[in-house]
Amino acid sequence: MNWTTFLQFTRGPLFQASLLIFVGGMAYRLVRVVLLGWKGDKAPAKGSKLAGVVKTYLKGFLIFPFVPWVKRTFNRNPIIYLAGGLFHLGLFSAIILGTPHMLVWKSLLGFGWPTLPLPIVDWLSAASIAAMIALLFYRRTNPVLKLISGPAEWLNWLLVFLPMVTGYIMTHHLFFQYEVLFSLHMLSVDVLLIWIPLSRISHFMFYFFSRTIHGVEFGKRGVTP
Amino acid sequence: MSEETIYQRLENNGVSRRDFLKLCGTLAGAMGLAVPPLEASGLPDHLLTENKTIHKIARALETKARVPVIWLEFQDCAGCSEALTRSQSPTLIDLVLNTISVEYHETLTAAAGHQTEENKQNIMQQYAGQYVLVVEGSIPMALGGAYCTIGGRSAIEILEEAAAGAAAIISTGNCAAFGGLPKADPNPTDAKGVWELITDKPVVNIPGCPAIPEVFTGTLAHFVIFGALPELDDLNRPVTFYGKTIHDRCLRRPFYEAGKFANSFDDEGAKQGWCLYKLGCKGPTTYNACASIKWDAGLSFPVQSGHPCLGCSEPDFWDGGGFYQGQSAPLNRPAATVVGAAVGAGAVVGAAMAANNAAQKKRAVQASEE
Repeated sequence: MNWTTFLQFTRGPLFQASLLIFVGGMAYRLVRVVLLGWKGDKAPAKGSKLAGVVKTYLKGFLIFPFVPWVKRTFNRNPIIYLAGGLFHLGLFSAIILGTPHMLVWKSLLGFGWPTLPLPIVDWLSAASIAAMIALLFYRRTNPVLKLISGPAEWLNWLLVFLPMVTGYIMTHHLFFQYEVLFSLHMLSVDVLLIWIPLSRISHFMFYFFSRTIHGVEFGKRGVTP
Repeated sequence: MSEETIYQRLENNGVSRRDFLKLCGTLAGAMGLAVPPLEASGLPDHLLTENKTIHKIARALETKARVPVIWLEFQDCAGCSEALTRSQSPTLIDLVLNTISVEYHETLTAAAGHQTEENKQNIMQQYAGQYVLVVEGSIPMALGGAYCTIGGRSAIEILEEAAAGAAAIISTGNCAAFGGLPKADPNPTDAKGVWELITDKPVVNIPGCPAIPEVFTGTLAHFVIFGALPELDDLNRPVTFYGKTIHDRCLRRPFYEAGKFANSFDDEGAKQGWCLYKLGCKGPTTYNACASIKWDAGLSFPVQSGHPCLGCSEPDFWDGGGFYQGQSAPLNRPAATVVGAAVGAGAVVGAAMAANNAAQKKRAVQASEE
């Protein structure tokens, strides 16, 4: 098997299998969480629940992250805030607004969208990778984080880091032939897709549930932050 | 075929010494030679002392006889032969046609039938171990080779017979090299490339659809002049021509870097000559010399003319994803029903687990109440 056939395998059957495991696995996780149920709400609401949800998304997800000084996370721990923020920003810019990734979405969804120029995505990705290294260093040195980090946490870091670093090297045509890194990039993505439903990386989905429920609680009590 | 040297033959045909040296220079360029691997060439010692590449080539042509070539066609379209004969580099082609002697070629040979076949047999006996075998087209292995027979004999039979006495084999075009179009899924004839079938002879692959004429002639010239095959990559392609990707040498590369892409074949980006990556260009993974040697005497090549690279010098390029689908896209899109089934399966298992947990909880509550 040469790199070209390996690439066909990682882009073809393996990717399909991983994608199906990912989709099925996330459906499983979602159903499990939803069917845990929640207690009926008998107290009269003081404020609008919907307004609470809207406000919490606006402030917590769309505005406050970009206005650092209002966030307690920033004041308490700027490294986590900056590195964590940059990591997520870079990651999602590349996955959604990078041209090659948009073409993946287009092939799966049937429609595409405008993308960012390569240099912009490139710098954001580089920042993302640097942020991940900083976060790893922090996790290795902070006594509390060290205490709560097990094999799954280190694996989370590694399996997210590998697609990012192989993708970055591949885009710059560095060190190896293009198809070698393309294959490794696809392989690492395939492994990551299988790993996500089994791991806390699934927070990309549950984050929205927890934020919605928080918003409902805030709105109900009329204490929207 | 006479045993006169190549130079004698050219001289007899009225080629001046000056023109001869010019042609040697052209050949050196065609082979991409700066410092040829002379030590591996098997040339006599006195030739190795020469300093200039062109002189080495000249000396080789002065001392060597023409190399007989047998050209076989199997599951092909004769496109590689067409490309070669219509090459716009007549000096080069003339020279190569003067340095080799095509003894058998089904499309080009004037004679036909038993006479030609008999001639081929004679040549194979007379020049056993010396001739170059060129193969165009893939070899079908299904039904005992019945999908391609010539004069009642199967392609594999003909190939094995000719390969036995060949000094080297050149597979020209993607079909002979890697199976090409006939091998495309579902590959009804079980088509194979030559190097999968002949393992006891040196096989050089010159893939392409068709192979670039100058790449073919450059490789052949290397063999004729140095008596050895050029350096090959892991797919047996000459590194000189297949060492870089189309993307590496592409004239639209700056637009790729700048994120300027054509989104359709007639939008503003296409008119401005922007990168064709979004239109399915396979340039980043395709190793060939199109972007540097180009076609029609260096006039243009597909990407320059506004069409994305199809990746025709790579194995299985027909099954390598849609021609107009971005290269980063997965090879196939899973059917909606399959995705639905995966979601459904996940949901059902999740619901079953949740129901089981709820029942367990209920039992536990009952047990504690009792």
